[in-house]
Amino acid sequence: MTAGQLAGKVALITGSASGQGRAAAQLFAEHGAAILVVDVNDDGMHETVACIEGAGGRAIAWHADVSQRADCDAMVAAAIEAFGRLDVLYNNAAIQMSGRVVETTEEMWDVTIATNLSAIFWACRAAIPHMLAGDGGSIVNTSSTLGQQGSEGYAAYGAAKAGLIALTRQIAVEYGPKVRANVIAPGSIDTPRFRKVTDGMDDAEGFLAMLQRTIPLRRLGLADDVAQLALFLASDASAYTSGAVIPCDGGLAAFR
Amino acid sequence: MSTDRRVVLVTGGASGLGEAIVSRFASNGDHVVVADVDEYRARQVVDNLVAARLRADLATVDVTAEGEVAAMVDSLLERHGRLDALVCSAAIETRSSVVDCTDEDWQRVLDVNVKGPFLCCKHGIPAIARSGGGAVVLLGSVLGAIGSPGYAAYCASKGALVNLGKQAAIEHAPDGVRVNIVSPSATDSGLFARVAAQSDDPDGMMQMVARNTPMQRLGTAAEVAATVEFLCSDGAAFISGTVIPLDGGMAARRIV
Repeated sequence: MTAGQLAGKVALITGSASGQGRAAAQLFAEHGAAILVVDVNDDGMHETVACIEGAGGRAIAWHADVSQRADCDAMVAAAIEAFGRLDVLYNNAAIQMSGRVVETTEEMWDVTIATNLSAIFWACRAAIPHMLAGDGGSIVNTSSTLGQQGSEGYAAYGAAKAGLIALTRQIAVEYGPKVRANVIAPGSIDTPRFRKVTDGMDDAEGFLAMLQRTIPLRRLGLADDVAQLALFLASDASAYTSGAVIPCDGGLAAFR
Repeated sequence: MSTDRRVVLVTGGASGLGEAIVSRFASNGDHVVVADVDEYRARQVVDNLVAARLRADLATVDVTAEGEVAAMVDSLLERHGRLDALVCSAAIETRSSVVDCTDEDWQRVLDVNVKGPFLCCKHGIPAIARSGGGAVVLLGSVLGAIGSPGYAAYCASKGALVNLGKQAAIEHAPDGVRVNIVSPSATDSGLFARVAAQSDDPDGMMQMVARNTPMQRLGTAAEVAATVEFLCSDGAAFISGTVIPLDGGMAARRIV
């Protein structure tokens, strides 16, 4: 892959205060994009911006709670205001709450759907007109292995992650000539959020060992693995791919 | 023999998508083994690359004959000492419905499009594993996921190829070999272009397909090559057993 794949482009990345979002923000900036770093975690997003600026890139931090429609509208407006255009929208922010259908409270359901599904609709609805008015654009939405397969205790999460796949196909079909839209379906990725879940377990080591045995490539993913796929989908390297769901899971989806 | 240069084997490398893939790898500095049943055209491709000071050599092979495939891999290892990537691009297409498809056509399409990649994987994967791991990319088709009138054997072969690829991905992930499928729709220089060229109205046929695609154009061989390049790169280190469509959003859309 050649350097500068996003030269002159502007990318908005939600959830970029840490983990996969931060890795993507750094990688996209290395490839020449100006980044609007969006998160609810102010300290983290300023750190991401500092990392990018330290490496000679351009980035601005923007506070937004993507579960709020007004925040989604405002962050897209902020990208246009700051950089004058928007070429890449990478909807990476998500929350993960566990619960089977019967144990899922209405509040858990609403927050999960708002953050993991409606947020993507709001962000895309706000961003697409700017992409159509500009040179087109590429939207990258983040689903999960659980968007296409079930797993006990992920009722709301799985529903939201499946819903955004259908939403992405709609965007691909409706705005095809100028806007591409694709989905990344990460498997188990070793990020701070992932560690927060495993750290709470009685036998975290045993769980991690079991998990690695089930992944054909025999390791957890890294934030950079997902960022590299996001770069591929954001850039012209994937210019004729739209409406697709691409796993980044070490072969897990092919296995189950 | 060079150990720092990747050795890439491309079947069907003398024409169409295979030729574009060969050019891409060779331009990146890899050594490409151009494998094809058409020795004359393969030699032309190799001669052109060598004249441009790029690295390539020739393997004449009928991918449906196991002895020839095994000999090709053995000979390649003797010459270069390693194999880092295998791209199975050789394929044929026939136009007939389920009822009209002859035994001969059925067998020929299944042999070239499925048995060929099977044999190449069978002999190529161990060579890649012994070289320290690498990537296999199988050239599928959008018709491996959706149907189209008059492509009975072709659709069946490309559908089978997807699960062959996933199977190989699961089985050989622990050996450090990743296997993915790239699924183009009609491109300007693949099998479709050849079929269109023989029709009464080649331009009309290509335009009709473009109009029925959300992106309103055909794909290009260069775009397919860029995706194959990504899948064979370290950026795709956690991606295996996946299908990456290059169809301008075609598979995401129901034709109304």
